[in-house]
Amino acid sequence: MATMGNERDFLILTNNPLVPACMEGKGKYTIRFCPEKSYREILVMARDMVYAGHTLYTHPLSGSVKPNETPYKSVIVSVEPHGFDSDQGEIMANAIAVFDKFTPIGWNLNERILADFQLIDYTLLAGAINFDAAAGISNQSTRRE
Amino acid sequence: MKLELGFTQINDIQFSKECKVDNGTLYVDPEAVKAFMYEDDDVKAWVKDFTFDVAKPGESVRITPVKDVIEPRVKVEGPGGVFPGVISKVDTVGSGKTHVLRGMAVVTAGKIVGFQEGIIDMSGPGADYTPFSKLNNFVVVAEPADGYQDNKHEYEHAVRIAGLRAATFIGELARDLTPDETQVFETYGIKEGIEKFPDLPRVAYVHMLQSQGLLHDTYVYGVDAKRTLTTILNPTETMDGAIISGNCVSACDKNTTYHHENNPVVKSLFEAHGKTLNYVCNIITNENVYLADKQRSSDWTAKLCRLLDLDGVIVSQEGFGNPDTDLIMNTKKIELQGVKTTIITDEYAGQDGKSQSLADADPLADAVVTGGNANEVIVLPKMDKVIGMLDYVDVIAGGHAGSLRPDGTIEAELQVITGATNEMGFNRLSAR
Repeated sequence: MATMGNERDFLILTNNPLVPACMEGKGKYTIRFCPEKSYREILVMARDMVYAGHTLYTHPLSGSVKPNETPYKSVIVSVEPHGFDSDQGEIMANAIAVFDKFTPIGWNLNERILADFQLIDYTLLAGAINFDAAAGISNQSTRRE
Repeated sequence: MKLELGFTQINDIQFSKECKVDNGTLYVDPEAVKAFMYEDDDVKAWVKDFTFDVAKPGESVRITPVKDVIEPRVKVEGPGGVFPGVISKVDTVGSGKTHVLRGMAVVTAGKIVGFQEGIIDMSGPGADYTPFSKLNNFVVVAEPADGYQDNKHEYEHAVRIAGLRAATFIGELARDLTPDETQVFETYGIKEGIEKFPDLPRVAYVHMLQSQGLLHDTYVYGVDAKRTLTTILNPTETMDGAIISGNCVSACDKNTTYHHENNPVVKSLFEAHGKTLNYVCNIITNENVYLADKQRSSDWTAKLCRLLDLDGVIVSQEGFGNPDTDLIMNTKKIELQGVKTTIITDEYAGQDGKSQSLADADPLADAVVTGGNANEVIVLPKMDKVIGMLDYVDVIAGGHAGSLRPDGTIEAELQVITGATNEMGFNRLSAR
């Protein structure tokens, strides 16, 4: 069983392709890459796991990039359930409430801007768990154009 | 610790071969500034070129996208130099004498990421929402070197350093001036302060620093705040540039280096110091993404408040969402130590202002000062001149598809305006 707080207990929920590209196989964590899921759906998945007793390791609203601007979100929860924490349940519920109050923008983001949003989400995630973000980019498995 | 600030008012900036301050005018040679910036190897590696401009109050000028705003200062007496650990050696600053060029700023602008925000309008309705429209701005626009797309960390660092170097170069011109006005700021040791002001409440400033990662960082004596434990600063250290901004996102509520140098909470607490309260110190704490870091940092904030036997604290935050959780954790834990809190924040209350303002809340956080609603919509008229580039306005925070209209006007949320809803209270928006 993975101990709470140990990297082996990190389950990264993400819809950001840069996360598996830079981090897959580079640590003891597990990545659940869900490219079909939206920002909100990643939050809902994390919320449901926290409600089911998984520990929330990173804040779901990381970054000052607003939820109606970027399509990408990565959240770390525990692989193992360690028991329900009501404060963490509240953080997840509040995050979804915050997402829902932003006015949808509906802009057409070009590839370059999408790449920047991926970069921000990835570097905030990497920073949270002391993963060397710059090295991850240099060694990524599928390099961007 | 005691610091004297000597202010020289700058009313105009002129490009000139000779660099000097004379009768309220800054004369500066952009080529000399450029040469000084390029002495840094990182700047040399990642910035292809710089262009320079001057923007004055009342002009039909828009600066965008703004990265940082910096007030030029120079240390003339006492240990250390400005921006310690970054530009100067790491000696502790905050004592002696520092000269300030007031009424002006160095503004760094230029693209770093494709959705970058930050507008300063020098006239029109947008100018009312940013304090920087009232300054004479020496604008440095950076153009990235090839390959920066895959090296955003290095490029952000290079532009940050370039801005600080430009401010240092200009600040140096104030070294031999006789200031128009001087002010003295002094705080005391714990025992000394209690003996001096036995009947005054002991108050500190809990200063939360943005520390989430790329484009969301703050540096203290050159150290990334994300890697720091909650600690204590003498308030005057901030006046010598001990804290600098690496925060490029969320223009309306990011604390630029100018805000850190001119922190209004520090200023107000000094005004009351020795009269209605005893200003003990600043407690700096971070806003990390990892929840265990939040817990540790807020535990330590509360622990220090108790250890210092404080009666009250002012807490300011920086940014949106994730920091709201740190803000509430800090406030709740400090209150539970029997120390009264007042928090300063801004709001994301929806375009109609009807939604809950923060991403977190607690009944103990019952004294709140707001810096305004960042979702409020504003229409900015066309300006005759743009310094920087407008091609990102459609995708900067608070703008939306079509927000840059064919006639050159911009419809956007206040989020896009640099400093509009500052969470240190460095602006005029609020609510009662």
